[in-house]
Amino acid sequence: MKKLLLSMSLLASSMAFAADELHLYNWNNYLTEATAKRFEQSCKCKLVQDYYGDNEEMLAKLAAGAKGYDIVVPTGFAVQTLIGQKGAAPLDKAQLSNLKNINPGYMGGFFDKANTYSVPYAFTTTVLGYNETQLQKAGVLDKANSWALIFDPAVVSKIKGKVTVLDSQRELMAAALMYLGYPANETDPAKWKQAQQVILKAKPYWAAFNNQSYIKELTVGNAWVSLGYSNDLFQAQQDALKAKRPFKLNFSLQQEGNTLSMDNLVILKDAPRKDLAHKFINFMLDGKNAAELTNEVGAGNPNQAAMPNVKPEITKLSAIFPSKEALPKLQQLQDLNGKQRRELNKLWSEIKLK
Amino acid sequence: MQERLGKWLLSWPPLAYLVVFFLLPSLIMMFAAFRYPGDYGGLMPLTSEDPATGKLVLDITLDNWRDYLTLESFVRLVDEPLYIELFIKSLWYATLTTLICIAMGYPLAWLIARSPKKYRDLMLLLVILPFWSNFLIRIYAWMILLGPQSALSKAINLVVTAFGHEPVSLLFTPFAVIVCLVYVHLPFMVLPLYANLEKHDMALLDAAQDLGASAWQRFWKITWPLSLPGVYAGAALVFIPALGMFAVPDIIGGTEGIMIGNLIKQQFLETRDWPFGAVLSIMLTGGVLLMAGLAAAVGRGKQKAKQKHG
Repeated sequence: MKKLLLSMSLLASSMAFAADELHLYNWNNYLTEATAKRFEQSCKCKLVQDYYGDNEEMLAKLAAGAKGYDIVVPTGFAVQTLIGQKGAAPLDKAQLSNLKNINPGYMGGFFDKANTYSVPYAFTTTVLGYNETQLQKAGVLDKANSWALIFDPAVVSKIKGKVTVLDSQRELMAAALMYLGYPANETDPAKWKQAQQVILKAKPYWAAFNNQSYIKELTVGNAWVSLGYSNDLFQAQQDALKAKRPFKLNFSLQQEGNTLSMDNLVILKDAPRKDLAHKFINFMLDGKNAAELTNEVGAGNPNQAAMPNVKPEITKLSAIFPSKEALPKLQQLQDLNGKQRRELNKLWSEIKLK
Repeated sequence: MQERLGKWLLSWPPLAYLVVFFLLPSLIMMFAAFRYPGDYGGLMPLTSEDPATGKLVLDITLDNWRDYLTLESFVRLVDEPLYIELFIKSLWYATLTTLICIAMGYPLAWLIARSPKKYRDLMLLLVILPFWSNFLIRIYAWMILLGPQSALSKAINLVVTAFGHEPVSLLFTPFAVIVCLVYVHLPFMVLPLYANLEKHDMALLDAAQDLGASAWQRFWKITWPLSLPGVYAGAALVFIPALGMFAVPDIIGGTEGIMIGNLIKQQFLETRDWPFGAVLSIMLTGGVLLMAGLAAAVGRGKQKAKQKHG
């Protein structure tokens, strides 16, 4: 009898605990431990994180009926999808007193013009990371500020087998389109075809389509150029510095333009704890908490109040904090419709097979 | 009566499991293959919410089903030579993997089956030892083994450059994909082969030797035919998963390592085209079942022929 009572009371206490849990479905390495701990103390609740590697994985899991998550952190086009699927809950801005901290320039993205559902969290740019020392030796370092470095056969042939590009239909296609002088969101099939030709001509000089391990390949010196996300390339640069490698890694924007991925905090429509979710968003909008993310993972920050707390050496990196002149050239990818997705996938499969 | 009840009690849990987790999903997938993709991924809904009552209403009827069901995704598969090419390429990779696994697994299984009893368990344990660590971790280990800084790469390139060729890279090539496919699937070939070879009656081989059969003849006329069930079982266990593999080409496949599994994965993730993904999956499952059926039919035909001769 005693045992039964004990187990019942245990059950009751664990249920009480479960009642104060916030479930965050987030990118890998997109919230520092220190920030998470401080939030738990301030809300007197438990923060449970689950992780995804790309938007599609998150969307597929939610579309398949995953329940129990309160907040997700989708990139712009995926916010569009979530709203379209009627999966997002409108925000109660009365509970978000820190919303004023966001730089107005980053509010009202194409995916949610009045920020009814989403708050900008952090952004990355898709850029070229490169081994300065090796590019200097190969005589192509002056091309690092252009997409020609990976697409122009005359240039990329000098670094044959040392280039990796993202295994992402949208990102690689966008880079090729910008190299050709078209907008990243171009959907004209004829121009897609041209971009496909650019990719096919450059492909023999590339080592791999790689999303998983380009950080490591750059850090150990196997790859000299990688098309990747600014926060990953920041990490590669830091790792190489710490390991005292005999070469210098760098990453920078391309003159033809780059894509910018704005990741946003969105509360799900069936979130069990919308109250805690609002508390979390307001907490993350605080300048000090927002700065921690940038300092640790090198994510771009839309929060003005964060700037005084961001390490000065990071604010100097153009791919993380783009200059006023570079900002208009950064484009956010928009969602494609079903027909366009099919067409793109066909072109992509051809690229992969040839 | 009691015996039948016992059989029934024992067999319904696995049967129910298969019905719930294999048959039902397969049927759902077959239905999905005939539907249209939804605007934001998933499938175009067959129901909608009635604005007046807020209740779900079934939109599809006997008159308008053509607006909801289509052969479009099947047509697309045969319209483009691209997808068929990819199927053929994957078949080729899986076949090659299976053949290499037989060539490498057979001697190993034979060696284990013929070693003293006290070592056999240890040797079998060593064969399955890799399963104790995660599949992906083992593939990442191969990235290091095949990488340009590895001893293997350096040794090979020493030879290659000595003959005046450009240095080659091993990682991110179709070669790397085959190496890892073989590595991952080899135990699945060794285990059924071992189970078969271990049961062979040694007296048969002794008798053949007494009658003057050479070592090759003893293998080809006695051991090989007797081991065929083990070879078939191993081949099926290797071929089928190798055919649908997507993680290995994703991680170490380089610029031309794509297989049919990658294409299917793309349909459900990046492209969000569930109907086409369902069509591709059905073709893959159907193709495998067809081949298994053919193999079984051939096997049965041979057996019948033998019985007639006997």
